[in-house]
This record gives sequence, structure tokens and C-alpha cells, in this order.
Amino acid sequence: MTTSANERVAHAPDSGTPVFEARDVKVYFGGVKAVDGVSLKLMPGLIYGIIGPNGSGKSTLIGAMTRLTKLTSGELLFDGEPYHNASASSIARKRVARTFQTVRLLPDLDVRDNIRLGADGRQDERPNLLSRILGIGGSPATDDAIDKAQLHGFESFYPSELSYGTQRRVEIARAISTNPRLLLLDEPTAGMNQTERAEISQLMKSLKNDGLCQLLVEHDVQMMIDTCDHVFAMNFGKLIAEGRPEDVVRDPQVQEAYLGRKWREHA
Amino acid sequence: MSWYDTNLVLIQATITGLLLALSIQIPLRMGVFSFAGVGAYGFGCYAGAVLVLDHQMAALPTILVTTLAGGLIVLVLGLFINRLNGLTLAMATVAFDLIIGVVAVNGGETTGGATGRYGVISDFTMGHMWTILVVVMVLVALSERGKLGRRIDAVRDDPELASSVGIRVYNYRLAAFFVSGLLGAAAGAMNILVRSAITPLDIGFHLIVLALTMIIVGGSLSWKGAVIGAVVFTWLPDVLQVIGEWQELVYGVIVAVAAVLMPRGIYGLYVEAKRAVLRRRRTRRGAVRAAVAAERARTTDDDEALAEMEDDLGSPSVTPGGSMGANL
Repeated sequence: MTTSANERVAHAPDSGTPVFEARDVKVYFGGVKAVDGVSLKLMPGLIYGIIGPNGSGKSTLIGAMTRLTKLTSGELLFDGEPYHNASASSIARKRVARTFQTVRLLPDLDVRDNIRLGADGRQDERPNLLSRILGIGGSPATDDAIDKAQLHGFESFYPSELSYGTQRRVEIARAISTNPRLLLLDEPTAGMNQTERAEISQLMKSLKNDGLCQLLVEHDVQMMIDTCDHVFAMNFGKLIAEGRPEDVVRDPQVQEAYLGRKWREHA
Repeated sequence: MSWYDTNLVLIQATITGLLLALSIQIPLRMGVFSFAGVGAYGFGCYAGAVLVLDHQMAALPTILVTTLAGGLIVLVLGLFINRLNGLTLAMATVAFDLIIGVVAVNGGETTGGATGRYGVISDFTMGHMWTILVVVMVLVALSERGKLGRRIDAVRDDPELASSVGIRVYNYRLAAFFVSGLLGAAAGAMNILVRSAITPLDIGFHLIVLALTMIIVGGSLSWKGAVIGAVVFTWLPDVLQVIGEWQELVYGVIVAVAAVLMPRGIYGLYVEAKRAVLRRRRTRRGAVRAAVAAERARTTDDDEALAEMEDDLGSPSVTPGGSMGANL
């Protein structure tokens, strides 16, 4: 069952300290309330999803969580410690990784170097001084991310030589290579076909088994149902429902906001 | 006289021009549109003259002190204007360059006013000059490789993405100002030590145009582009002397044509050619077909694609048709 606004946080999966917590987060752009008082908790080893129509504030919320978008008010906590005044780069060093709504790869780096950019920040992957200076030597984290995203054969390709779906996978591989504790995926399957979507879903499930907490913003409702343990629905910057994915998509408010009033009447 | 001795002045001008071009190129590589290196060059010229003439300092300490002071001055400037971007930032740094020129004119006995300083004779040798150049070039070349090279690319092309992978963009931008000041001041100090005279006219706006032309035509993303630009635009006026009064027109046409036809400079052409060769090799090796077949195999159940991929790769380490999940 879905929950009312007041009961939302209490009904979220709750065991121990959340990896991430947002308390009454607001992001206003002038008079536009992009995110308007959102509170949520994300627990380790679970896959969360956010659904909502375009402009409902999903990507802005992810921007706020990674400190790339300035908060108007509210609190953000990682492992119980507030970080809403910290810089975006320091959040990344806490092992919060993300992908973007539109693919963002560096055009002058090949696939391997684009992925390695993520691995470069890892504490456990510090090559010796000589290899760091000369830029030689392997990167197990990069190899592992290439394996997981199935990008073998593409290592020396440049982004402009790749299909959109493959570019997406490179972006996901870059995020994975940071060894994140919280992975935020902003529409990672946009531009992919059903098989590729299923593979991304499978990849997320395997990462979940490694204890990674993931938050997925996606329009593909079926993928949400197949992948997520817990889904939040947003509209006009507010959470309008949350719960198990199959319950949330049946919620009348969600159907009306996300799928349209007409669809709901037919349903 | 050997060719080297005959062309010594041009060689010296190429080296100082190269360092000046790098003082603009390094910030550009980090996405900082700053010409403060030219101001640092002017500062370096005058500081070098003052230290040698008024304090009888030897050449190497003069270069060291001037370089560090130039770096710090531009770093302080960077602390004030770091938040600016694009043309606004460029204009702020041009203003800094102009201020250095104004100080040179109105600096009294220290700068020599409109007549400048002359007779700067020191123990500076070409051996010193080549050594400094090699050290600088090695450091700049290393900054284009490995982790640092990747991070500089990220800071330039997508600062938001750079932040999202843990890169402190602000620090890189400040470093860009500092290094720009170091290189500009080093170029200026070496210039005064080999030329022995400096006037306010020598550090004018034309230096910004010259340095920018060098890296736009040579290539703005690699030290190799700066080398090409410095060589071309130091030696071109000399080569064009044979056509007399037309040389400025030809010079202008070359710059315009290069800017239109080679947006990434002469070195950019080499990079594009290298990538084209790589693509051709991949095609010849069947890597592209194999990768495409792998894509098809992943996204369809097409048995033919699987067979094609097996044929092309012929590698037991690749699981033909294995979905992403199968390898996890």
C-alpha cells in the first residue's frame, strides 16, 4: 500500500542508519518550486526509484543530492552526517556517484579513459608515482567496470564513434568505477531498446547484491517494477506517493499525475 | 657562422614566444579564458631588469625570483576573478595586462618611464635557456598524460561532471592562474636577459594577439600545438620578408585560413589523422565489426550475429551473446 505524505518516511524500508537522508529539501528557482519539501531515506543494499512526469523535480532532486544544484533549504545527510553545505566534489569523494540525464562523456578521451576518470578518485587505486606521472599501468577498477558494463571491444573508441546506448553504458561504467556507496542514475536507459534496458536492470540488481544503494530516475514504469525495491512518485516538486513499485503505479494520484487523467479513467 | 649562430635571435624569440604561448594555453586547457600570462610576461621583463640592474642579481636567481613573484601575482588576481567566466574573465585579465603597461609607463626610475630600462647584461647563457625550456616542456607534457591529463580535460570540458567524480574544480582553476603567471614571468625574465632592453611598447596588446595566434593556429590542447605556433609565428615574418609590404596581408590570410579550416589548429589535424588511422586499423582488424556484432548479439537473439562475432573475435575470453547479466 502507498502511504500518505505524513506517514511516508516512517513506511520506507528501515533498518539501521540510512545511507542517505533528505529532510524537507526545497529547491526554488525564483518563483518555480522545483523541489518543494521532499523528505526521504535510502537504505543500503536497496534499489529505489523516482517516477514522475517531466518537470516534476526528479533530476533537480538528484542535482541537490549531489550538491550540483543549490538547496534553498532543508538538510541532506550521508551516513547520518549532514553535508548540505559541502562541495559537490567532496560528496563524490564520499562515494556518491551519478549519471546525468543527458550523456556527458569527454570527447577527447577514449572509452577506457572516460571510465578511468571515475576510478582516478578511488582511495584504493593509487598507482605508484611513476605510473601516475607517466600515465601508464593498469587500473583494476576500470577493467572491472568495463566487464560489468560489457564494453569489451570498445575501449579505444571515442564517444563520437559510439551509439547512444553504448555511450550510456560508458557513463554507467564511469560511475561504477568510483566504487560508490550510493549510485544515482538519471534516466540511464533513455535511448535504449528493451533488451538493453533489461541488461541495465540486471546490472543494477547485481550491484545491489554487492550492498550498493541505488536511486533510479526513470520513465519506464515496467523497468521500475522489475528493478526497484521501493519507489517514490513526484509531481510539482513534491512526493505524492511511495511504497512498493506495483502499489505506487496503481496509486490514483500517481496515475493521474504521471500517466494522465484520461488514462486513469480508461483504466 | 653556423646556422644556429646566425639565427640565434630568432631562436631566443621562439623560446620566449613558446613560454608566452604556454602561459595562455595552460589556462585554456583548464577552461580558464585568461590572458594574465601576458601581464606576467610584462612584469617578468621589468622585474628581471630591476633585479639585474638595481640589485646586481645573477641570472638564475633573477629568473627564479621573478617567476615565483609572477606566479603569486597572477594567483592573487585569480583569487579575485576566478568566479568569472568566458569573455568577462578574458576582459578582466586584459585589464590586468593593461595595468602592467600603465605601471611600466608611470613607474618612475624603477621602470624607466616611457624610455624603459636598457643595458641589462647578466651571466645568462643559451645553456641556461635551453635547460629551463626542457624542464618546462617536460613538466607541461607530463601534465597532459595520465590522471592529471584526464582531470584537466574534465575540468575544461565539463566542470560539473568533474565535480561529480570528486575533482576540486576551483583548485584547478586557481592552479591555472598560478602556472600561467609562472610561465609568463619566466618568459619575460628570459626575454630581458637575452634582449637587454625593455620599453612599455614591448609589452603591449600585440603580445596577447601574438600568443593567441600561436595557440589557435598551432593547436590549443597540447604543448605540441604551442611549439608549432611559436615556430611558425616567430619565423614567418622573417620568411615573408621577400614579399615586402605584402607580408602583413599574407600573414593575415594564413591566420584566417587556419582559423576557418583548422579549428583545432595544425596539431589538431595530426590528432584527427591519427584517429582516422586508428579507425581504419580497427576496421581492418575486424574490431568494429566484432563490436557491432557484439552489440547486435546483446540486443537481439540473432544467431547469425553470434556466429559473426565468434568469427571476428576468435577469443575464448569473450562470451558470445552473453547478456550483461550473464557476465556478472
